[in-house]
Formats: sequence, structure tokens, C-alpha cells
Amino acid sequence: MNHLTQEDIVLSYYGERFAHLDTCGECRAELARIAAILDRIEAPEVPEPAADYESHVWQRLSWRLRGEKKRARRMEWMRWGAVAAVIVIAFIAGLLWNRRAQQTPVMTPIARGLAPQAEPAANTPQQRDRILLVVVSDHFDESERILVELTNLKPQEGTDITPERHRAEALLASNRLYRRTAEDRGQETVATLLDDLEPLLMQIAHAPSRLSADEVRDIQKRVEAKGLVLKLRVVRANVRATAAATNQQPNV
Amino acid sequence: MEPTDLELVERVRGGDDDAFRLLVERHSRSLYRTAFRITSNAADADDVVQETLLRAYRALGTYDGRASFTTWAHRIAVNCSLDLLDSRKRRDAKIEATDDLSDAVAHDASPERVVLGTQMQRAIASALATMSGNERTAFVLRHFEGMPLEEIGSILGIKTNATKNTIFRAVTKLRERLQPFTGSAI
Repeated sequence: MNHLTQEDIVLSYYGERFAHLDTCGECRAELARIAAILDRIEAPEVPEPAADYESHVWQRLSWRLRGEKKRARRMEWMRWGAVAAVIVIAFIAGLLWNRRAQQTPVMTPIARGLAPQAEPAANTPQQRDRILLVVVSDHFDESERILVELTNLKPQEGTDITPERHRAEALLASNRLYRRTAEDRGQETVATLLDDLEPLLMQIAHAPSRLSADEVRDIQKRVEAKGLVLKLRVVRANVRATAAATNQQPNV
Repeated sequence: MEPTDLELVERVRGGDDDAFRLLVERHSRSLYRTAFRITSNAADADDVVQETLLRAYRALGTYDGRASFTTWAHRIAVNCSLDLLDSRKRRDAKIEATDDLSDAVAHDASPERVVLGTQMQRAIASALATMSGNERTAFVLRHFEGMPLEEIGSILGIKTNATKNTIFRAVTKLRERLQPFTGSAI
């Protein structure tokens, strides 16, 4: 007799019907053993969100949707700008190429050998890593300052966060760029922290200029829940140490 | 009469943001629960809900109404949770997978208490942490939410047979982790 596979028995626990089970005591016993384990696995308790959870979600989301609309309008302008820029650049490049083709004598391989081109400063992986770490370190520094300022605010109606908003908006664009670069360069810790930072920068950047006491508390709670200030300090210190060490290594 | 989800979607497409607010109020709590079951973290679940609703808003133009809005939104939530787990995996892998569960059993005189107690919960959490994103999601949706296999497959973008296999792999990992508590052979 062909018994059920372990996979079949697991599936039968989840409701799939196997006629074999009606006649095979051995498979039924195995099913009972698996059921004894799976029956004990109860859903982990989900902490019930506050009664006004939905309105909190909407409040945060509506900031982002406003930002989303602004961004969509900006992107539309940028798209047209980019098209115009490409046309102008292509035109100028065409003119220059034409002029060079008429003026520059053909360089022989020997002449090229005598005048090797210098390697650009940031052309080695180490150099690129170091540049990334230096700029990211400044980025973390500025992010930490904003978060500390916000967590130190006394929650009250009409708190003006216009300066923090503008700074967060500026940081948000570079945050995405640095995160992608860090992922590409295999800087996992840096990429993960930038990933954690992004939703919060987005929330601050898309917040209204004046916050209610609840909105201030909401931001402060999120900063604390993620332990971001401490993480920023730790990672920034590591990043600085690594950047300094990379700087002392000779270029390869 | 309350407008249906589909009616609200149509209104949002026509530029009515208040209709989207109604969808948010209707679905955010259940999205939170699903996200929490996958991420096991309240702050992360909260971020997933935000990201899900933002992605849903951006993608409303592509929503064709073939699946219910609930299923569609949960599919996005699961994807957001998996994205988040991917970015967390590097950190979590180091922490969770190293618990020595045999010790936990040996130090407690009452097997029944161990099985029902916090050690068992730790073992389950530890087993969930060793699963891939797909395994964990498939198991959570089948075991805790009772979702049909076909629907899980459609959320994960895999065929039903692959879904069955994914759930089996998840259960095998759980059995391995829980073996000290049950004494059963794998």
C-alpha cells in the first residue's frame, strides 16, 4: 500500500481530502501526530490598535497624499524640463563634436601611450565607498539633529515645525539616493538604517507646518518606537571610523 | 445605504479624496492585523499599513474589480510586509535562529507547562523567523487566517501546487523547532 507523503498529511490537516486516510490507520496516526503539534500553534496575539486608529492612519496618510500630489505635479514639470534639457544638450554636443572633428588631428597609438589619462579621483571602489560613507555620515548627522529637535518639543497645539519640514524634505530625496547606492555597494547596515529613516522623514516632510499636540506626540512616539536616534548615533560612529580607515589605505 | 468598496474606488478615481478616507477607515484595522501577523512588530505593521494604502492609492487606476477590494488591498499589504521582512532579514537572522530550545526544556520540570508556556511561544517565534518570507506568509495566511490555498497563491504570485509545497516547508521548520516540546520524530 502506498502511504501518503508528509506533504499530503500536512495538506489533509488543512482540509484537503485524501480517501487513503479512511482505510490506513498508519497515516491517520501520523496525521494525529502532526495535528497534535499544529493544534497548539495559536495565532500570536495582535495588539489591538487604539480606538481612533483609523483616524490616525488617515491623518498620517493624508500628509503623504498631499506630498504625493505635489510630487506628481513637480514630476510633470521635471519631465518636460528633462526633455528640453536633453534636446539642448544634444544640440550643443552635436555642435561641439562637429567642431572637434574638424580641428583635432588623429592621435596615434604611440602618442596615446605617452600620455596616459589620469585615473579620475573617485574611480576605485574604495574611493567610491569612502565618498558614500562621508556623505552618509553627514546625512545621519543632520537627520539625528532633526529627530532630536522634534523629540524635545513640548507637545502643544499649533507647534510650528516649518524649518524641520523643509530640512526633512531636502533629506528625503538624498536618503533614497544614498539607500540605493548603499544597497548597490553592499553597505547593509547603512542601507537598513536609511530604510528605517525614510518613512519618518517622509512623515515629517509631508506634515502640515503647524502640528496639533497629538501629531507631535505621534511623531515622537514613532521616533522612540524605532530607537532611531540611538541607531543613528551608533551607525554614524561606525561609518566615520570606516571612512577614516578607508582614507588611510592606498588606492588600488 | 453605505457605499460599496467599488463605488468608493470609482469616486476616488474621480478625484474624491474623502472616498479614499472611507476606504482607509474601513480596511486599515484588518490590514494592520495581517501586517502584524507577518512582521510580528507593531511599529512595522503600522508602517506597512501606511505603505499599503499609499501604494493602493497610486495603483487604483489599475484595480479592475475582479478581486474584492479587501483581497486586493491585503495582497498589497502582504507584499509590503515581505519587502519589509527582506530588509529586516539581515538583522533578524542573527538574533532569532540561535536560541537553544533543548536547554529550555531540560530546565523545566513540568513538560505540560513548557508546552503551554512562553518557551513554546518563543519556539514558534523562532521557527517563524527561520522561514522565508513566502513560507511565513503562506503559513500565517493558512493557519491563522484560514485563507484558501488558491487565494494565498494569488497573493504570493505562485501556483497552488507551489503554495502547498511552501506551506509544507513552513510546517517542517515548525516541527523541527518544536521537536523538543513534543518529542515526536520528524
